[in-house]
Amino acid sequence: MEEENKKTIEVRGFLHLDAAFRKKNGSIPIIMELEEPITGVALAEKLEVSLDEIEVIFVNGFVEALDYLIHPGDRVAFLPPGCPGPYRIALGFYGKNQGNEANFKIKKKE
Amino acid sequence: MNKFIRIDMTTKKVAVENVPEKYAGLGGRALTSNFVNDEVKPTCHALGKNNKLIFAPGLLSGTTAPNSGRISVGAKSPLTGTIKESNAGGSFSQKMGKMGIKAFVIEGMPADDKYYVIKIDVNGVTIDEAPAEILGGCGNYEAIEILSEKYGAKVGIALAGPAGEHRLPSANISFKDPEGNIRSAGRGGLGAVMGSKKVKAVVIDDTGAAAVPIADPEKFRAASKVFSKALLDHPVSGQGLAAYGTAVLVNILNEAGGLPANNFTTGRIDHNDNISGETLNATITERGGDGKVSHGCHAGCIMRCSQWYPDKQGKMITSGFEYETIWGLGADAGIEDLDVIAYIDREMDDIGVDSIETAVAVATAMEGGLLPWGDGEAVLEAVKEIRTATPLGRILGSGTAVVGKVCGLFRVPVVKDQGIPAYDPRPIKGIGLTYATSTMGADHTAGYCISGNILKVGGDIDPLKKDGQIEYSRAMQIGTAAVDSTGMCLFVYFGIADNPGGYQALIDMINAQYGIDLTATDVDKLGESVLKVERAFNKAAGFTNAHDRLPEFFEYEPCPPHNVVWDLTPEEIDEVYAFENEEALNS
Repeated sequence: MEEENKKTIEVRGFLHLDAAFRKKNGSIPIIMELEEPITGVALAEKLEVSLDEIEVIFVNGFVEALDYLIHPGDRVAFLPPGCPGPYRIALGFYGKNQGNEANFKIKKKE
Repeated sequence: MNKFIRIDMTTKKVAVENVPEKYAGLGGRALTSNFVNDEVKPTCHALGKNNKLIFAPGLLSGTTAPNSGRISVGAKSPLTGTIKESNAGGSFSQKMGKMGIKAFVIEGMPADDKYYVIKIDVNGVTIDEAPAEILGGCGNYEAIEILSEKYGAKVGIALAGPAGEHRLPSANISFKDPEGNIRSAGRGGLGAVMGSKKVKAVVIDDTGAAAVPIADPEKFRAASKVFSKALLDHPVSGQGLAAYGTAVLVNILNEAGGLPANNFTTGRIDHNDNISGETLNATITERGGDGKVSHGCHAGCIMRCSQWYPDKQGKMITSGFEYETIWGLGADAGIEDLDVIAYIDREMDDIGVDSIETAVAVATAMEGGLLPWGDGEAVLEAVKEIRTATPLGRILGSGTAVVGKVCGLFRVPVVKDQGIPAYDPRPIKGIGLTYATSTMGADHTAGYCISGNILKVGGDIDPLKKDGQIEYSRAMQIGTAAVDSTGMCLFVYFGIADNPGGYQALIDMINAQYGIDLTATDVDKLGESVLKVERAFNKAAGFTNAHDRLPEFFEYEPCPPHNVVWDLTPEEIDEVYAFENEEALNS
């Protein structure tokens, strides 16, 4: 949690979600009101992002699984499958994405 | 591939020999590094007559295997003083493969002051005086046009650009791609070695060459199909890279707090949107004209991670606009205009300097007061001075370590005098271990991994913690050395890293071509053996474990936003190569 008193979160999307968020919200980051903690899954649903478009999320600069709890004041980013291999390992994706069925799949081919 | 060619520039004599038995099963980096260790005096001056420059295609080059068109070049590096293998795309490697050339070596140096063009075709090798118009500052783009006109539109070309003629430690070897643009064997100054031997260009013409013989064509076709599917079904190689190029990493590393900026004083910037892969894609799409979001650097590339970046009128500025270049100029040097970065990239390609080393040197020069922070126009003018070898041009073209010394700095991001690329080692410790211990100096391409090792080493990694990082770096370096030796494009790793079937298909293609029976274990062992050979050369050249260290400032300057320092001890770093000693004890 970055700032206790904040009631908003900053949200970014990478790869194709960057263009999708810009189209929908005009600019990035999206500043969203948030009163209570919310999971990555619930936030994705709020933003109408399909779960098979997300490999992991970043929360305050750390890679987290989709069920991680996001708090007011946090900086969040949704990352679709597509981050090159060695960096997925070095940044810790492998400890966070194993339960995620979207891993390593191209949506259009499923 | 049964020909091994030696070109002696002292006598201008050429010997076309059969491949020595010990090199028969080797290709790419395995061949160049074994050869350099066997024949180059480790203590020689890299620009003296005793260094040798070897060009080798991969084991599958010239076949229809996808993404098999990389060319490896090896020698002792004038930048690092270590062994060096640098590789590139283009059409050169496939032509060598089709002509049955396992490798050619350029050795010695002429007594006169003339530059030469080496021409290789099915009739043999000739050495011509270089045309005057491609010398003395002629850019690589123009030199490619002139040589293509003289020798044929479809020839392959390897060039030492103006920086190579000046024998600068950042000089690369530039290769013509299928459209006459440039791909570079960038790191380590091998263009200076080529220039020192007075070889301006090597031209290769495969007209009349037969198809590469395949021992078991049916098995080869089947394995090739599986391999292609593994690449195209993977979200990185089949989708992410093709759409956004390697610059897809700008936003990801920035978010992770590992995007080095302002000469490695912070790990995150605010202007990432200006220089991201997503913006690159949107800009190319919007401008149209010559612009191509996706482009292959050699025939048979199915991932197509390259692109043509156009100006506002749609005219191409540069191609192969890579993450590390964009990072170096955009984040580390703080240049916020992607168009200006593209013009600097083109200039670096035209001069023939490594765009990573030069970008890191530019950021260091900004800290040293030689250039104003973030001023792209000033950087473009300064980089142009490398072409004419002014004092500033020579300083920048000599790389980051020299710039740091000239400016009296302690914050000089190099390992073994090679500039550290685009991933900060403090918040991404595994990559830091690879920078520290790589046989090539700080090298981001040394740490890719192959299937089977990933879950074993990667499952519990926290980028900020030490746990598991030694095993990660070791497995990555072994895996990289193994697959580099097949001569495949680096990025096939993405497809095979998560897909054991893809990795086996790669090995099956090699087995089918040569009628052999390699296993995955054999290929892993090959990777270990390559690293041992490279370490042996470096040791004989005077390198010890004390050189396997990151610059000291990483130990006491925390990197925002995570505010962590580099805290791996010398003993922990040395554990990465413990497998060398274990084997010595057991033998």
